[in-house]
Amino acid sequence: MTDQEIQETEIDVLEFSQRGAEVPHAKVYRVRIDGEPFRFEDSSPTGEMVLARVGKRPCAFELIEEFTHRENCVVEPDEKVDLRKHGLKGFITAHKEIVTIFLNGEPYQIERGERSIADILGKAGQTAQGYILLEEKDGPPLPLPDNRPVEIDGCEVFHSQARSGASS
Amino acid sequence: MERPQDQIEDLKRYCAKLTALTEGGVTFFHLEGLRLPAGCTPQTCDALLCPVEREGYPSRLYFSVQVTSPYTRNWNVSNARIGEKNWFAFSWKVALSAPTLIEILIGHLEGFAKEK
Repeated sequence: MTDQEIQETEIDVLEFSQRGAEVPHAKVYRVRIDGEPFRFEDSSPTGEMVLARVGKRPCAFELIEEFTHRENCVVEPDEKVDLRKHGLKGFITAHKEIVTIFLNGEPYQIERGERSIADILGKAGQTAQGYILLEEKDGPPLPLPDNRPVEIDGCEVFHSQARSGASS
Repeated sequence: MERPQDQIEDLKRYCAKLTALTEGGVTFFHLEGLRLPAGCTPQTCDALLCPVEREGYPSRLYFSVQVTSPYTRNWNVSNARIGEKNWFAFSWKVALSAPTLIEILIGHLEGFAKEK
């Protein structure tokens, strides 16, 4: 039997790391993400795929590999992780401080927390005087009041539109 | 004025039910359960969109109630009787050349989100 051949049907990655043993090829790898077990059939998913298993996205969350005998390591969204890597205990996720939002389809980096309409429009070089900001959240894009801050958690989808209305 | 079907489909995204209502030679779009911008009370209400000139405005958006919004508005129409229902509207002018239905709707909803 060669190393590439499947030796186990389903293995628990944490058990192997605790024993200090090499992880064999298997049909299914059981991996913990934030302490909860998930089953993977692919031994080299991308960081984004791992995050997706816990309903999270790289625009708001970071994925971190945890090892038994070495420091944790951040995994980039498009980076492939090796679930058979020696000492891998599993993954944890962390809410990013600098998150990604989408404005008119373009991604922009912004600090998490309360941000003004002007802060958000400014990412696209637009001003609150000339534009309205609309947020697409659980429905169609709706204007956001410009006298209230917007809570940014990451992954928000915004649109801007030149102002067209005025009180008369 | 006939409106392209894709514009009408876009309007449907903003409400629970969309129907057309013709009265006095004007076709209104009746938006039941229209979603309103954040900070408005109620969060949804029925509305009537008049996409053509009326009462000196290029277009009008009537609401089934006087909406409380982040900015106080000048509600200059109260209990206007259209389609056997009472409607309310605030003074807000949407100035666009050849706007789509969505542009008109968003332009009026902008009134809840901008001071002037």
